[in-house]
Amino acid sequence: MTPTWTDQAPIYQQLADRLAVQLLDGSPPEGEALPSVRALASQYVINPLTVTRALQALSDHGLVESRRGLGMFVMAGARERLLRHEREQFLQKDWPALRAKLKRLGLTAKDLNWEST
Amino acid sequence: MNNMNLIEAKNLTLRYGKKTALNDVSVAVPKGRVVGLLGHNGAGKTSLMKALVGLLPVQGSLSVLGLEPTKNRQQLLTELSYIPDVAVLPRWAKVHELITLMSQLQPKFSAERARTLLKRTSVSENDKIKSLSKGMVAQTHLALIAAIDAKLMILDEPTLGLDVISRKSFYEMLIDEWCDGERSVLISTHQVEEVEALLSDVIMLDEGRVALSISLEDIDRRFVALNHDPAAADAMAAAHPLLRYREQGRTTSLFDGAPPEHITSLGQRVRPSLVDLFMALTRNPALNNKQA
Repeated sequence: MTPTWTDQAPIYQQLADRLAVQLLDGSPPEGEALPSVRALASQYVINPLTVTRALQALSDHGLVESRRGLGMFVMAGARERLLRHEREQFLQKDWPALRAKLKRLGLTAKDLNWEST
Repeated sequence: MNNMNLIEAKNLTLRYGKKTALNDVSVAVPKGRVVGLLGHNGAGKTSLMKALVGLLPVQGSLSVLGLEPTKNRQQLLTELSYIPDVAVLPRWAKVHELITLMSQLQPKFSAERARTLLKRTSVSENDKIKSLSKGMVAQTHLALIAAIDAKLMILDEPTLGLDVISRKSFYEMLIDEWCDGERSVLISTHQVEEVEALLSDVIMLDEGRVALSISLEDIDRRFVALNHDPAAADAMAAAHPLLRYREQGRTTSLFDGAPPEHITSLGQRVRPSLVDLFMALTRNPALNNKQA
């Protein structure tokens, strides 16, 4: 069944990561509501408690906030904070490995296509 | 009844002649949970479910929705939603006839709710059961029993023989229309991988005994799966993992509880998957004895 979950992290963490990627893409935009716990549970076919834990994780990172009776909303500045965090992650974790590989392959910046999406 | 468990079973034992179907089984199901009942064929899943609905007399103490199943079977059957493992809807019946029948049999059944649920599916009320695919029959059945205003649903292998799309629609309807944080459902299956994300708790039966009864959240806490290089295999083995398995050239060792620090540092911690845990706890009887 879709989607598939890896064994690299707890499922709630993987869902939080997926939702964070969507936030980064502006979906939903800041100030707007996230889908309800039940809607997310149904969409991903996972337990509602797992969804609640994922939303809690996003809330702990200051990305979403709960408004009583209305659900979870994307906080102002969430995208910026997320972007900063992701950039840091990339530079610290992904880039060293990527740089090593580029060096091994003898590729420089001008060999890479920067235009296409 | 508010803070009581929907199911409270203590020391259940059931014997068929010489065969022990349930051996000192104690489990509890609170409200708002999705509980997977896992076990190989013959592990006692169906026996336990039948005992829960009062269809099999068992030794031990058993309370379901505050009732004693064998004594209050008639009342109990009107207060829970149950699909047995040999579930068959009458082939000659039309869907709307089943709705009428359910209205007469089940005081807590809502025909209106059943119709709403059926609108999610491609089944129409004038369809005859025999004209429907297996997946559509299963969805119809779920729609009918989910329209009972109950606190507990018991599903014995509800998706057996269904294709992957039908299984997904079935579970979607269950999550969407049943799980509201108050009602609980107990589902038996051996498609462990598929239901993992759906569950809040799991009960594993092995030859009639409870091999494990735990919430999924606690699995992440209690069990440690370490992904490691083959070079670390001997050190891992010395720390007595429950199970070791290979995946994409790496080996994973699964421990009950955190292994010593020098072992933990040899691997990378990954999520212990339910299917691995299931294999570890129900495959090898020797390990299970140590476990208990």
